[in-house]
Amino acid sequence: MMTVTKPGLQSTLQGPPRRGYRHLGIPYAGPADPLSHALANRLVGNALSASALEITYGGFAGEFREDCSLAITGAYGQILVSGMAMPAHTTLHLKAGDQIEITQSEHGMRAYLAIHSGFEAETFFGSGSTYLPAEFGGLDGRALKAGDELSANQSAVFASTLETPPDYRPAFSNAVGLRACASAESNLLIGQDRALLFEETFIAGRQATRMGIAMTGHKLSPNSDGKMKSAPVFPGTIQCPPSGIPVILLCDAQTTGGYPRIASIARCDRHLLGQIRPGDHIRLLERSPEAALQDSAAKQKQLNDWLLT
Amino acid sequence: MSAGLIPIRIADDVFEFKVETPAQAQALASYLREDLTAEDVVAGLDRVAVRFAPEDLDHVTARLAKVKRVPTAEQETGPAIEISVKYGGEAGPDLEQVCEALDLTIDAFIALHTGNIHTVEMIGFTPGFSYISGLPDDFAVPRLDNPRPRVAAGSVGISAGFTGIYALQAPGGWPLIGRTDAMLFDADRDSPFLLSPGQQVRFRAT
Repeated sequence: MMTVTKPGLQSTLQGPPRRGYRHLGIPYAGPADPLSHALANRLVGNALSASALEITYGGFAGEFREDCSLAITGAYGQILVSGMAMPAHTTLHLKAGDQIEITQSEHGMRAYLAIHSGFEAETFFGSGSTYLPAEFGGLDGRALKAGDELSANQSAVFASTLETPPDYRPAFSNAVGLRACASAESNLLIGQDRALLFEETFIAGRQATRMGIAMTGHKLSPNSDGKMKSAPVFPGTIQCPPSGIPVILLCDAQTTGGYPRIASIARCDRHLLGQIRPGDHIRLLERSPEAALQDSAAKQKQLNDWLLT
Repeated sequence: MSAGLIPIRIADDVFEFKVETPAQAQALASYLREDLTAEDVVAGLDRVAVRFAPEDLDHVTARLAKVKRVPTAEQETGPAIEISVKYGGEAGPDLEQVCEALDLTIDAFIALHTGNIHTVEMIGFTPGFSYISGLPDDFAVPRLDNPRPRVAAGSVGISAGFTGIYALQAPGGWPLIGRTDAMLFDADRDSPFLLSPGQQVRFRAT
């Protein structure tokens, strides 16, 4: 259906997270920015978690062998269809032989390309999402390479043309505020450290991966002996190793970890993690669990007005 | 259990119980998984976490309030699996440092590690990563200050009184003592995981 001509830095197929298997050590995977992923699927009439392409830092190009309806969301620079600039957040109808190119955005990190009916992906433990460290899901469990042939689940032609309403189009910048709650080992932060965590600006470290983002710029000194017993962690958990540099876990988060869990990004803001680039500014905004969950319900309700209609 | 079990909120969408042993954590997690509407029930070595969707908050709160004590469950103990390990050198770059910290010669360490029957207490971290007990209690080597960005599949580490085996290449903070060729995780196998909680293990030096 589509031949990958330029894969970019890291392009993977991502569908729903693998929920329910963390006790076997199986991480969720799925899109790093699930909101942008859902918005792309919405525009081509798919289930919101259907398998779509996650493209890191642009630099992606592909050629279509069949007619195809697709949509692009997330962090994109220019979108070119056979050399012509085309809009994001809009259903695009390509003909066999057309080429698509997506360049790097100014801010944010990941673009999503969804096609009608979704990309075919290897299902493992109930999901086709690619999990790179263990090489399963997606296409051979790996990032796409030039020459890869991707298939649609069914015909990729969609009869409608949709646009994301302006209010629902996320804008990315080089600074992000993330609502966060205290976690199981927050009490190990003593003296100024707790204020530091929730009141200072941190800088995203050089390795911003699907597994984690280091928060540099301020060092913490959790009152830990380094011998904590391994405990459950999730996407959103902030761990603090003895180096004092906290790490926010993302969609590919391991299932357990032995470093103090000093905070947790609120559910409503976890989708923002997938667009944080190295060097971006990060501010944590402390919330009670009750307030954070209410924010989550409110945000979901607002999104559902578009996503579920 | 003494004061009863009280779930602690460790995130807006996660509750957690503290228990005393890995076996208790496994038993409580299996028990909760039977009838709880949750996204995930995950056991740590002395914790059980329950992550839920916001709409299930009331159901989960009510259900967890009914848990008064850890249910009893017998762990299966089949015959011990033998796992061959190449100790030290490039395969176990931290062995010398670990032995220094424990005030043991390398030979004495290997004799101790291969002399005991060990037990898998938990699978976690990444697919197939096994937390294996059976080391003396005073083998509580701390994790590395700076986790390695990449640890090779099959790497064997020790930390906090446990042996851990990395089934897959992953970032990791355990001091590494050796490496095994055993396939702990293989997506193409009917049963992708070689080890499961309760399994007994004996290490052999190669």
